[in-house]
Order: sequence, then C-alpha cells, then structure tokens
Amino acid sequence: MQRFNFPVVPPDPALEELRSGLQAFLKEEREAGNFRPEPECWMASADPEFSRKMGKRGWIGLTWSSQYGGRDKSALERYIVTEETLRAGAPVAAHWIADRQHAPMLLDYGTEEQKHDILPRIAAGECYFAIGLSEPGAGSDLANVKTKAEKVADGWKINGQKIWSSGAHICHYMVALLRTSPADGRNRHVGLSQILIDLSLPGVTIKPIVDLSGDAHFNEVYFEDVIVPDDCLLGEEGGGWKQVTGELAMERSGPERFLSTYITLETALYQLQGKMGSASHARLGKLIASLRTLRGMSWSIANLLHRGVSPEAEAALVKDLGNRLENDLTQEVRALLNDLPADEWSEDMHRILNIGILRSPPNTLRGGTTEVLRGITARQLGLR
Amino acid sequence: MINTEGMIAQTAAKIYGDLCGREVPHEAEAGKYPQDLWDALSENGLPLAWVSENNGGFGADYDEVFGAIWASAQAASPVPFAETLIANWLLDQADLSPAEGSASFAILGGPNGGLPTADIPFGAHVDQIVMFDEALGEIALFDNLEAARIDMDALSPDGATRFVFSGHRAVSSAKTGLSQRGVEALILTVRAVQMAAAMEAALNLSIAYVSEREQFGRPLSKFQAIQQQLAVAASECAAATMAAAQAASSIAQHRDDPEKAWHEAVVAKVQIGHSVEAVTVPFHQVHGAMGYTQEYDLHHYTRRLWAWRDALGNEHRWSALLGEELSKGSPDHVWKGVTTGNWVDS
Repeated sequence: MQRFNFPVVPPDPALEELRSGLQAFLKEEREAGNFRPEPECWMASADPEFSRKMGKRGWIGLTWSSQYGGRDKSALERYIVTEETLRAGAPVAAHWIADRQHAPMLLDYGTEEQKHDILPRIAAGECYFAIGLSEPGAGSDLANVKTKAEKVADGWKINGQKIWSSGAHICHYMVALLRTSPADGRNRHVGLSQILIDLSLPGVTIKPIVDLSGDAHFNEVYFEDVIVPDDCLLGEEGGGWKQVTGELAMERSGPERFLSTYITLETALYQLQGKMGSASHARLGKLIASLRTLRGMSWSIANLLHRGVSPEAEAALVKDLGNRLENDLTQEVRALLNDLPADEWSEDMHRILNIGILRSPPNTLRGGTTEVLRGITARQLGLR
Repeated sequence: MINTEGMIAQTAAKIYGDLCGREVPHEAEAGKYPQDLWDALSENGLPLAWVSENNGGFGADYDEVFGAIWASAQAASPVPFAETLIANWLLDQADLSPAEGSASFAILGGPNGGLPTADIPFGAHVDQIVMFDEALGEIALFDNLEAARIDMDALSPDGATRFVFSGHRAVSSAKTGLSQRGVEALILTVRAVQMAAAMEAALNLSIAYVSEREQFGRPLSKFQAIQQQLAVAASECAAATMAAAQAASSIAQHRDDPEKAWHEAVVAKVQIGHSVEAVTVPFHQVHGAMGYTQEYDLHHYTRRLWAWRDALGNEHRWSALLGEELSKGSPDHVWKGVTTGNWVDS
C-alpha cells in the first residue's frame, strides 16, 4: 500500500504538439520587446493587451465548450499552456485566475445568461476575476470571514471588506466567500456562500496596497450596501465552505506552484554555458532532479483531476514541496552565478534575480500557508 | 506510484508476509539466515522474473517486478532478492543462463594499476557474482570464492564485501551490447524503488509510534510540532516514490535500450539520495531513544537507506554528473527533460 496517490503519466504526443506554436509566439513577443520576462508572472505581471493577444490565438479558455467561447479542449492542454507561459515569464496575470478557477466555477454554478455573457469574454482575454477570500480577520483561519450578504427583496446586500485581492484594480468581477447566515454554534463552516460581484457596482471601493518591491498588484476591497441580483449566488446557499475548499484543492497543484521562478534558472543557464565549476554542476543536478520530480507529481494530479478524482491531500503536499523548491531555486541560482563575474551578467539577469528575491515571500503564504498545508498532510496521515 | 497489484508483486508480498515477519530481519542479523524465505522466493521462480523465456525465466513486465522489489524492501528483506534480480538481468543481457542460486553484481571499470576490484552488496551471502566489464563489453559469471573476499565495514545489514579478481576463471561469459549507462539505469532504478519503499515503511512505523506513545498526558501525535515534522517527511517520501516510479516507468519503456532510461534513473538517485536525511532525521527524532535501540525495527530501514544512498557513488557525485551533462546542452533541452522526461531525443 502506498499512502499517496501519484500515478505516473507519460507525456501525450498530441498534447506536446501544442507547445511549438506557443513557444514561437512567446519568443516573438519577447524579442519584439512586448514584454520583459519576470518571475511570479502569473501573480504580478498583468498586461491586458498581452492577455487579449493570447485570447485571440486561442490560448485562454481551453477547458470549456465553444458554446461559451471556449476551445473544446481540456485542463491538460491548459496545463501545457500555463507551464510554457511561466517558463517564458510572460505577463499573464490579468487573465490567469479567471481562466483557472472562475470560468470552471461559472460552468458549474452560473446561469445560462452568465455563461453566455462572461465566459466568452474570459476566453478572449478581456474579462478578469479577483479571488475574494481573505479578510483582515480571516487569513489562514478562513472560516472567520465576517463580510455579510443579507437577503433583500431583489437579491443580496453586501457589507464588509476583503483584503489581499490580487489584481482587483483591473478586474471586472470578484467571487467572494460571504456569510449569508450565522454560524451554528462552534461550526463556522455553515452559513457561508459564494457570491459573484460585479466590481463596477456602486458601493464597491478598491484601494491599492503597495508591496515591499513598490508594486501595487494587490488591494483592499470595501463593500458598502452593494446590491447584487439573486442569480449571483453561486452554488448552494450555505454551501460556500465546501465549494471553496474543493476549489483550493484544484488550484494547489498547478505548475505555478513550482515553476514560477524557472525563468531565473533559465536566464542563468544561458549565461553560464561552459562556465560552471563542479560545485555548480552538483547544485544544478540536484535542482533539476527536484524540478523533474515535482513536475511528475503535479502532472499526475492534473491527470487525476481530469478524470474527476479530487486528490486534496496530494495537492496540498505538492504545493508545500513546490513552494519550497521555487524559493530554493532563486537561492541556488545566486550560488551558481558565482561562476560568472557580476559585471558579465546581463541586465536581464540582474533584474530577474532581484524580482525573484523581492517576490519570494508570498509563495509560501497565498493559497494556503505552509503551516496549513502541513496540517492537511498530517490529517491525511491520521495524526489529527 | 509503484504498481504493486500485479501477480508477481502479489506473490512476493505474500511470501514476505508469511516468512518475513518483524522478527526475521532481527534474527538474520544475529546469524540465523532465513533460508526458508529464500527457498520460497526461488521455488516460485521470482529471482528469474526478468530473465527471458529462452533462458528459463518468464520475461515479466518490468512494472510487475518493481512491485515485488517494493514488497521486499518494505519487509527489510534479509535475503538478496533485488541483487539476484539484477544479476540475472545482466546475464540475460548477454544471453547467458541465470545464476545457480542467489547472486549479486559488480561493475568493473577495468584494471586500474593493480588487480581489478569491486564492492559487492550481500557479497558474503550469495552463491555467485555477475560482473559487468565495460572495457571488454563483457558480462561474466563467477562462483563466490572466499579467498577473493575482503569484508568491509558496512552501514547496512546487507553488508559490503570487496572482491579482488585475481585470475579467477569465469563460470560463463559473453559479449554484450549493453553500455555502462544501461547497467547504471537498472541498478539505480532498483535501488530507488527499494529506498522509496523503505522510507514509506519507516514513515508507517513513525506514525504508529507517535500515535501510541504518550507524554505530557497525550499521544505525541497530538503535538503540532510532531505533526508538522512528519508531514514534511511524508512529502519527501511521496516525492521519493514519484521519482522511483518515473525511473521504473522509463526503463520499462526502454527495455530494449536501457541507456535511454539513464537520466530518469539518475534523477531518482539524486532526488532520493538527497532526501534520506530529510526523512531519517525526523523519523529518529520522533521515536526518541527507543528508535535507536537494536531491539526496535526502525534501524532496519534507516541503516539500509544510509547504505543504499551510496550505491554506485553518493548523491553528490551523481548530482554533479547530471548537472555537468545538462550544463553543456541547451536550456531548451533541459526544459524538455523536466517537462516530458525525454532527455535523449532532440
């Protein structure tokens, strides 16, 4: 018996064909100066114009039906596209979250009208979503959300505040976890619901939060008597907790959990060809072995999800290992670069390495902190 | 995951379950060799699983046999089952008949000044020894001669014996098209599967121990510090199993050209070798003093892990070999390997 379920899934030649067109596009865009590669590009490099180009070429909306503007492909094709864009450090943050989790959510819970209205715009790279989970008093302890949605005659009235909402300043919608009825004694998981909020509605205020690198890609979002129609309740009233934890499990094992700094390594490899000493060879070999192993685990989960299995514990475990790896990668590259005098580093190398360092703290926080993830693994082991 | 559902894997698991209970590895170390266990494996033909039908084996799927190796390592096998499988695989690659009885293997780099020597796992216990000599492109089978042996200090109960080949006559020998990398691919993959299995067995012992042992009025498992340590160790175990399974899948896919499985085998060697400390340290830590007594079972796994990570050289050596090769190729090639496991074709 093996404790964790990670079947080996060999590459599929049909899926591999997708890569070449995308690689050529990314190379062309980069060489034309249309983007400068960055680590953590899926969270912090948003460029609506670039997203529209990707939409036009059919690289967003792969997972849903053409009836709603999608491409009639699967999450496995999307996996290939996401890993190639991460490798390139391309500015994909604007559309990433909507494409990854909100489109599937609307497919499950949205009305026909919402699907026809919103999904084609997501696929076109024109419509963006923010995640509405964290609040000032609800971080790791997500069940502590206080923002309320009250039933009113023609819908729901929302009051409260969300925080750390990445990209909310350019997003069109947020899906928020809100309290729609009181907790049942100590059981705080009841009475929570997911609600779709149009961020252009009156009563919504978005204030930027500047991070330590000077970027302002996350926000505080305030709701003051914001009224949304009835059909904005997604899924079951009171079923929000279950929906959210399922969603988190889906998003924890993707390539963005271990490849978001790969651009740093690749940039260094171009500069270090033929210049590495034996200590660097050993560091590189170890790093590549870890990357290959994590890719195997992450791809394994992608295939399980594709088959309708939801491996929550495995996903948490991959995120923990992957977040450690992507931060280690940046540190290992610093060590590798000792083989090259700093005045021979390219301008890109300096820039990418610095961005990677400045953007490293959130890796082990967002989408479930290391401590929370290890708690999930410990539960799977039967320790709690 | 390693596939443990196949018939061969199930047969091996049953034999180990019946004849290799927790006392057996202890008794073996005290000098009571479990001959009945070896006999049962032999009678069922398991050491011949990889031998082709022409040479008297059953040419089994690689997958099935890795499942049997998994079972043997989870039982802390005190008999040279994996070693005999490797030895017979080598003989079959030169179209030679399988060994008589148990066997182990050696890779010889060719005479290096003095007499050729090789370090051989289970060297004191096996009936025969298969030697791969890359310089000659030859595989040869020798009887295990006491006079040729020097016992070495060993970390593991498998023992380590240095052989000095000094004009010994081979029982049989033949040319082979097999490369050094092909041989390394198989040996490293077998060790990777054993190590992943031993790690998981030691994890299971640790979970059981912390769930029973009470301090400060409650089981150790209820302390968050213990939970988080074992969660980290468990993720390393899961990664080790994935690395081993990828290597196993690669050599199964390239059974006619095992050299093509070399990179995935080296990835497993490096990944798992580097994670040995990350698991053995917390496993011993949560066991307290009990974990390092001879009486308790944990050392059957941890000592084997400490020994197996040195097979064909330690993880640092192999990291450098892999890194050196990849540093010479293009970054595109590295990316292709990481994402598809295809490190060979351009």
